[in-house]
Amino acid sequence: MKGFGYLVKEGFKNIYTNRIMTIASICVLVSCLVLTGAAALFSVNVTAIVSEVEKNNETTVYILRDRGEIEAKQIGSQIEAIDNVESAVFVSKSEAVEQYKQTLGEQLFDRIKDKDPLNDAYRVVIKDLEKYDDTVKQIKAIDGVESINDRREFAQKLSTISNLVNLISIAVVAALIIISLFIIANTIRATMYSRRFEISIMKSVGATNMFVRMPFLVEGMVIGIISAALSTGAVALLYEAVKRVITEAAGSWITVLPFSQMVVPLAISFLVAGILVGFFGGFISIRKYLKKEGNEILGW
Amino acid sequence: MIDFENVSKTYPNGTHALNNVSLHIDRGEFVFIVGASGAGKSTFLKLIMREEIATSGEIIINGNKLSRLKKRDVPYLRRHMGIVFQDFRLIDKMNVFDNVAFAMRAVGESSAAVKKRVPYVLDLVGLKDKMKDKPSELSGGEQQRVSLARALVNNPEIIIADEPTGNIDPELSHEILELLTQINSMGTTVLVVTHEHELVREFNQRVITIDKGKVISDSAEEMVDLSYGYDEGYAETYAEAPAPAPAQPDADVDISSFSAAPAEEPAGEEEPYDAGEQPQYPDNVVIIPD
Repeated sequence: MKGFGYLVKEGFKNIYTNRIMTIASICVLVSCLVLTGAAALFSVNVTAIVSEVEKNNETTVYILRDRGEIEAKQIGSQIEAIDNVESAVFVSKSEAVEQYKQTLGEQLFDRIKDKDPLNDAYRVVIKDLEKYDDTVKQIKAIDGVESINDRREFAQKLSTISNLVNLISIAVVAALIIISLFIIANTIRATMYSRRFEISIMKSVGATNMFVRMPFLVEGMVIGIISAALSTGAVALLYEAVKRVITEAAGSWITVLPFSQMVVPLAISFLVAGILVGFFGGFISIRKYLKKEGNEILGW
Repeated sequence: MIDFENVSKTYPNGTHALNNVSLHIDRGEFVFIVGASGAGKSTFLKLIMREEIATSGEIIINGNKLSRLKKRDVPYLRRHMGIVFQDFRLIDKMNVFDNVAFAMRAVGESSAAVKKRVPYVLDLVGLKDKMKDKPSELSGGEQQRVSLARALVNNPEIIIADEPTGNIDPELSHEILELLTQINSMGTTVLVVTHEHELVREFNQRVITIDKGKVISDSAEEMVDLSYGYDEGYAETYAEAPAPAPAQPDADVDISSFSAAPAEEPAGEEEPYDAGEQPQYPDNVVIIPD
């Protein structure tokens, strides 16, 4: 299109002229994108954890503390005797203490060691995961078994939370997208009002609708691009902070995916969403103006 | 050039703005449109600019029927017209140069073309020295000349001036009409809507009087329909106005400083509107290329 450079320049001029409204639009759009991004990253992590847990067919079976080592070995034999159990490796209380020491560090471990929280246990590998629930029932039925660390149950709980978070996010994001569209459309409408003289002159000298529309679309899209960039930065900071907290609390038990693995698709999604919201915000507000002619544009 | 064939216009609120109007304006004519407030003059101009669509009848410009003109082609029709408004409609934050350049930029002209053409047109209207001034620093007459330069800058075939002297001093009004006459002498069709009887008489051009939505007199046809009642005596004033001026240049006007550059069409753009013939310029017009 001829004069494209001029139109883009006009779009940037609009942004500067209406900077307060532009900042308001950017703030709303950033909150919308950050919330969407946070929900998406949470969901991605939960899915990764769930699939990891589901892939892992190792389950820890704890033995009652009043049972001696010989009784514990007998329980192990009974576990191994179950059809769907491939192996059962004994982990003594002292081995478990060493592992905890490594995970928690000496200092933290010293604080809890008096409480003697550990049991003898078996690491049981299950053959067919489809029969997992039946096998767990059979193990629980063995005399002397205190509990089973069923990570699948945890995975299921996590999935339920994730689904709930996703549902809430969708509702919040839908509301925020509508608010963003509304605010961007109003920002651009304010620009158009301040430039109504120019629009009426443009139309009277024979500017095409596309030509009249272009600076306002550029304005909307630039708002979208700036919001996308800010949102990516904000989500990165937020993600790293949350990751630090989770890693400190859960140690190696929960693996949080590195942000670098997700930054590209996240930034691209933000960019596309930002541009689309900005473009449609501009499009909606100018559509009404373009239908008007002459003095109608000036509101006379 | 411009034909109205039994054109009527009724607005959605029931106002009958024009009632069965038929007239013909030739290429290169200078026409005054006069009439009382609410007579239908503005509607007449809006119909030509295709801001409004006739309720019935047909408007033909350069052989193109406006009723058949697609909405997307309206901008191309308007590129053949230059509009001068009573209130100038200059953009305060832009200087004189940018106000005129704006009309070129709006149709996608390159900045090189703008830089070449705008000073030239401002020179034509005598404002070359005021290119960097803001409209607020100019007198009413100067502001109207900027508005005229903006109307001229895209080389239109028709200049439509809606009350061009309505907001300026009487002595400056004469100057503006003088400029319009000079522009007309180069072959551009000029339509001027005005209330100023003295000016109309002085300039000795074709006068079309509209009252209550009808053409009640047209000096070109020496027609008067006195059966219509009208308030401000337009018919009495203009019924015996002189015959229309020929569409030839006025020999007394010094036009050597004026451009008769052919109408430019933005290259590379679709031009669905048929411009028809370009104005025929007299031999003594110096054609300065853009």
